[in-house]
Amino acid sequence: MDNYRFKYFFKKRIQILFGFLIILLFIPLLKIFYLQIIQFDRFTALSKNNSIKIIPIPPKRGVIYDRNNVILADNKLVHYLEIDRAFFSDLPEIKVRLKNKLNIDINVDVENKKISYLYETAVPISFSLTDKQIANFVANQYLFPKLRIKQRFIRDYPQGKSSAHLIGFINRINDKDIKFLEKENLVNRYLGSTHIGKSGIEKFYENLIHGSPGFKEIEVDAKQNVIRTLQEKKPIPGKAINLTIDYRLQKIAEKAFGEKKGALVAIDPKNSEVLAYVSQPTFNPALFTNGISHAAWANLNDKNSRTMLDRTVAGVYPPGSTLKPFVALAALTNDIRKPPFSIFDIGYFTMPRSSKVFRDWKRGGHGTVDIIKAIAVSCDTFFYGLGLELGIPNLNKVLDDFNFGKKTGIDIGGEKSGLIANKAWKKKKFNESWYAGETAITAIGQGFTLVTPLQLANATAKLANPSLSIKPHLLLSIDRIKQDKEEVKQDKQRYSDKNLNWIKAGMVNVTKEGGTAAFLGKKSNYQMASKTGTAQLFGLKIDEEYNEDTLPDNLKDHALFITYAPANDPKIVIAVIVENGGHGGSVAGPIAKKVLDAYLKNKKL
Amino acid sequence: MIKVLQKYKKRIDTHLLTITFFIIFLGLVTLSGSNLDTSNIIVNQVVNIFVGLIIFTILVFTNPRILFSYAPALFLITIFLLILVHFFGVESNGARRWLAFGFFNLQPSELMKITLPLMIAWLYQQYQNKITLWLHFTAIILISIPVYLVLLQPDLGTSIMIALSGFLIIFLAGISWSLILSSIFVAILSSPLIWINLHAYQKNRIINMLDPFVDPLGTGYHTIQSMIAIGSGGAFGKGWGEGSQTNLNFLPEANTDFIFAVYSEEFGFFGVVIIFALFLLLIFRIFILANNMQSTFSKLLTVSLGVSIFSAIFVNIAMISGLVPIVGLPLPFMSYGGTSMVVSLASIGIIMSLNNHKTLIAN
Repeated sequence: MDNYRFKYFFKKRIQILFGFLIILLFIPLLKIFYLQIIQFDRFTALSKNNSIKIIPIPPKRGVIYDRNNVILADNKLVHYLEIDRAFFSDLPEIKVRLKNKLNIDINVDVENKKISYLYETAVPISFSLTDKQIANFVANQYLFPKLRIKQRFIRDYPQGKSSAHLIGFINRINDKDIKFLEKENLVNRYLGSTHIGKSGIEKFYENLIHGSPGFKEIEVDAKQNVIRTLQEKKPIPGKAINLTIDYRLQKIAEKAFGEKKGALVAIDPKNSEVLAYVSQPTFNPALFTNGISHAAWANLNDKNSRTMLDRTVAGVYPPGSTLKPFVALAALTNDIRKPPFSIFDIGYFTMPRSSKVFRDWKRGGHGTVDIIKAIAVSCDTFFYGLGLELGIPNLNKVLDDFNFGKKTGIDIGGEKSGLIANKAWKKKKFNESWYAGETAITAIGQGFTLVTPLQLANATAKLANPSLSIKPHLLLSIDRIKQDKEEVKQDKQRYSDKNLNWIKAGMVNVTKEGGTAAFLGKKSNYQMASKTGTAQLFGLKIDEEYNEDTLPDNLKDHALFITYAPANDPKIVIAVIVENGGHGGSVAGPIAKKVLDAYLKNKKL
Repeated sequence: MIKVLQKYKKRIDTHLLTITFFIIFLGLVTLSGSNLDTSNIIVNQVVNIFVGLIIFTILVFTNPRILFSYAPALFLITIFLLILVHFFGVESNGARRWLAFGFFNLQPSELMKITLPLMIAWLYQQYQNKITLWLHFTAIILISIPVYLVLLQPDLGTSIMIALSGFLIIFLAGISWSLILSSIFVAILSSPLIWINLHAYQKNRIINMLDPFVDPLGTGYHTIQSMIAIGSGGAFGKGWGEGSQTNLNFLPEANTDFIFAVYSEEFGFFGVVIIFALFLLLIFRIFILANNMQSTFSKLLTVSLGVSIFSAIFVNIAMISGLVPIVGLPLPFMSYGGTSMVVSLASIGIIMSLNNHKTLIAN
C-alpha cells in the first residue's frame, strides 16, 4: 500500500470508526436518559429511601392511680448500655473490662448469640445503671467505643408485688400480639413500641394507656449516622387513669392474708365501684418487663401455688354456706319457710321416703330454728328440707338474678362464669339424671355450684342494695375525668323489703351471740351483716369424721366470708375466700373485718 | 519569555487543549462540590493536573522520531515491568497491579496503554509496504503478551482496554473486512471458554450487571447506588454540591471511579448531554488531527491514543449507568487520581507532538 492509497484508506476507516463511536456513545446516553427522565420518580424515591428515615417515637404509657392518686404503675427513665448487633461476639471480653474498670455488670448471657437476633440493630446489655455508673461510663467512654449509653422509659411498679393481678404487667410484643394488632388495624399505633399490656388493667385498658406514637423524619448517611432532623411530630402519651381501688385497703388485705392463698373483693354497694381486688399469692410484675426467665416463669406456674391465677375473677370455688342467704331469699320469695315457721333440728335430716340421712355441721343439732336463726347459725338441716321443697328451678331463678353462673362483666380480663347446675346440665355433662339428694346439698352451697369471689361480692352488694343496677367496675376516671357508670338492664326489684329484712336479720345475727362468727361482732362499733362459709373439698363418707389436723393442706376446706357494713346503711361489701383455710368465720372473717375497720374508720356511721 | 510562550502556542493545538481543559475543569467542579472532606483532594488533584501538564509539555516538545525509534525498547521495558509485577507487585484486594518504588507506586498496565499502541504503530510503519497476513499475525502476538500479563494480575478492565488499543491499529492499518468478521465470529464462539476462566468475583459482576437488584446489599450495591444517583438527578440535577447520594456516602468511590454518577446527580441530564458533547468533540478533534498527519506511524498512534481515551470514557460511563459490570476504571480527566490524569494528558501530549512534526517522520 503506498502512502497516498493508505491515506485514502485510513480516512475511510476513521470515518467508519467515528460513526461507530457515536453510535456506541448513544447507548449509555440512552440509558442515562431512561434513568434520569423516564425513571426519575422511581429513583428519586429510592434516593429518599436511602437517606431519609422515619423513626417512630413511642408514646409514654399512661400512669395508673388508685382512687386517691396512689401510683400503681408509672414510667421511669433508665439509662442502659447497648452494643451494635455486629459486635455481640466481642461481649465476653468487654464484660470483663466493664466489671474491672467501672464495676458495671452485663445483664445478658454474653455467650448466647441468639439473644442478638431479637434486636434489629443494637442489643441492650446493661439495664438500670446507677447515677455513679452513668458518670463513670461517660468519663471512660473512650475505653468502650463499641458501647453506647442510652436512655428510655420503662414501666415501673412502685408497689412491687402488691396488687399485681389487678395492675397486670406488660411484656414484649410477640407474634400473637402482632396478629391481633393487624386484625384490629392498630399496627400504626405500635410503631416503635416494644411492649404491650398482657394482663390485668395494663391489658384491659391498653387502648387508653398506650397512646399514639410520634414521628421523627431524619436524614442519614450511608453509615446510618443522623445528619439532621427534617421534621418531628410529638407522640401523644397514653391517658392517666384512676381506678376505683382504694390502695390502702389492698395493702391491709394483702397483709391480713399473709402467706395464705385466696382472694378478697370489696365493692361499694352504692355504685359497684370495686374498692379492693386482691388475689394471693402474687408476683412482681416488673419481672416481665425485660422478658421473664424460664425458671421464674415455671416457679410462678407451680401447680400448688398457682401464683399467676387471678383468683378474684378466675378462681372458681364452691360457695359453701355463703350461698344460704340467697337460698333463704329464694324460699321466702316463693312463700315457703316464712317466719314464724320453724323446725326442731336434731342434727341431721332424713330424706323423705328414704333412709338416706344428711348431717348438720353441728352434732346434736341447733334445736328450734327459724329462717333467721338458720342463717345466723348456718343450720344445714333447715336448708336441706327447704331446698327439697323449693326445687332447683325456683332456686336457680333467684341465683341467676344475683348474677351467679354468669360473668359480671367487670372491666378486667380472664373472668370465669362459675356454675349454677341443673338437670339439663348434669345430663349433658355426666349423662346422669338429677338426684333429690343433690337438690338438698345444693341448698347448703355444696353440690355442683361454683362461684368466683367477685360474683360473691357482687351478689352480696345486691343484697345490701337491692336497687343496685351497675355492674362492678374498676375504672374511676380517665385523665381525671369521671366516667359514666354503665347501667345494667334488670327487672324491677322483685324482692319485698320484708323478705330482705329477714335475711338481713339473719346475717346481722351471724356476728351476734350464738352466730357462727360471733367473736367478730364483739369488738365492733358498727353493725355488720355477714355469712360464713366452709366449702368442702373432701367428700366425707357417711359417719366419717372430718379431722382437720390429719388432712393434707390442699384438701382442707376453703374458708369463705361475705359481709356488708354498716348493716343499715351499707357502705362496703366484702367477699373473702381463703383456700384450704378451714372454717370460714375464724379464718376469712378477720381478714374482712380488718378491711371493714380501715374503710369505715373515717366514715360517718 | 513571550517568545517561549509563542513557541509553545505554535506547538499546541488550541482546540484540543481547550476541550481537554473544559473536561478537566468540570471534573474539578464536581470534586469540589462534595461536602465530604475534600480540601486535600482538590489540592492533590491540582497537583496531579500540574504533573500531567509538565509531562504533557515535555512530550509536546519531544521529537516524535525519538518516540518512534524507542518504541520497541519502551514496549520491552513495559513488558519487563509487567513481569516484575507478577513476582514483586504489591498485592491488594487479591490483585497484583502495582510496583512499589518507595515514594510512588507505578502501574505498568497503565503505561502499556501507551507503549503497546506505540509498538504496533511502529510495526506497521516499519513494514508499511509489505503488509501481509503474517504482519497482522505478528501484531496479534505482540498484543496478546501484555494482555495476558495484565489478565494474570488479574485486571480484566485494563487488559480489555489494552487489547482494544492494539486491535484498533490493526483495523486501521488495513486488515480486510472478511478477516475482521471472521475473528469476531471466533470471539463469539470462544466466549463460553472465557466465562469458565473468569474469577468468581468477575462472574458476579457480570451477573449483577444483568440484574443488580438480585443482591442489593452485596455485589449489586455499587451499581444500584450509582443508578440511584444518576436517576434521582433528573433533567437538571439536584444542584452543585447537593447530591444526597454523594454527600451522605451512599455512592462508593464518589471521587474516583464514580465521579460521573456524582456529576449526573448534581447536573442532571442537561449536564450529561454537555459532557457527552465535549467527549465527542475531543475524539472528533483527535481524528481530524490524525487525518491531517502524514506518516502511518503518526496516524495510527494518534487514533489509537484517542480511542484509548474514548474507550476508558465509554467503559466508565457504561459501568456507572449499569450497562457493563463494575470493572474499576477511572474516568479520564475527571476522576480523582494521579496515574489516570498523567496518562491521559501524556496521550494528548504525544498527539500534539505528532501533530507538530507532521512530516518529520514521513518516509
